[in-house]
Amino acid sequence: MPEAIDIQLKKGALDLCVLALLSRGDNYAYEIASRLAEAIGMGEGTIYPLMRRMQGEGQVETYLVESSAGPPRKYYRLTDAGRKSLAAQKDAWRAFAGSVQAILGDD
Amino acid sequence: MTRDAFIARLKQGLTGMPDKARSDIVTDYESHFTDGLAAGRSESYIAAALGDPDRLARELRAEAGLKRWESERNPEAAAAAVFAVLGLGAIDVLVLLPILIGVVSTIFAFFLLAVGGFIFGAVMLIASPFAHHDTGPWAHMLFGLGLMALSVANASILTLVSIGLVNALVWYGRLHYRLLKPAIDPQPTAAREVAAS
Repeated sequence: MPEAIDIQLKKGALDLCVLALLSRGDNYAYEIASRLAEAIGMGEGTIYPLMRRMQGEGQVETYLVESSAGPPRKYYRLTDAGRKSLAAQKDAWRAFAGSVQAILGDD
Repeated sequence: MTRDAFIARLKQGLTGMPDKARSDIVTDYESHFTDGLAAGRSESYIAAALGDPDRLARELRAEAGLKRWESERNPEAAAAAVFAVLGLGAIDVLVLLPILIGVVSTIFAFFLLAVGGFIFGAVMLIASPFAHHDTGPWAHMLFGLGLMALSVANASILTLVSIGLVNALVWYGRLHYRLLKPAIDPQPTAAREVAAS
């Protein structure tokens, strides 16, 4: 079953977006999920398996922060490997987007 | 759906996973509800945005099975991966089942042939010096040795084919994730489901 092209694009860009968000500051999953749900329409439940995978791959690591209300909150931060991966994916994305733009023309 | 109902169904669906992984996942979704409520959203809205907990649990379990296959390449992990994909319960995966059974049986038959050929070859190699032949023992010993080599080659090719097959199935299974890697706009759906409930 063929998927709509926008879904495929979003799938491909999800990792990149999460890494980019985290590069601007440590964050917790709910915040990442709602930012991305708003910005690119990502499914909210998607974030947890994704973060788990990235953690498994060593791109992010977690630490707990005590919160005034409720249980401590799990924050994510980029590792060096995550930063490298972000740089590589950024370059790839820009090169690709540039090529597509060149083919599409100005209209 | 309320928070408690969502979490209960998620937990139920994750039965059979290692306790650590299971409680980690549940904690993640618990805190999602806590944060969502703090942000002023209702429990039913948050639950709807997360998607069907049964489906979510199925996909999480499937992913765990597929991960295992990717980290340890052994027959057990392969079986776990196959069951993980079937566990997704997608219709076209189930349609695949009869074909899969046929292919697996064929591979198994060839494996038996390889094992049988190897043993037969070994017996010929060892026994021929003691047996009485017209052609002499050397021809039989060489034939036995050749049969053993052929069987080993057969088994290696089958192993490669099997690994490729499981990899293809893993790839195919992942195409069926709807909640894990969908990035489909959830907001309109969530709003609709809330309106309907």
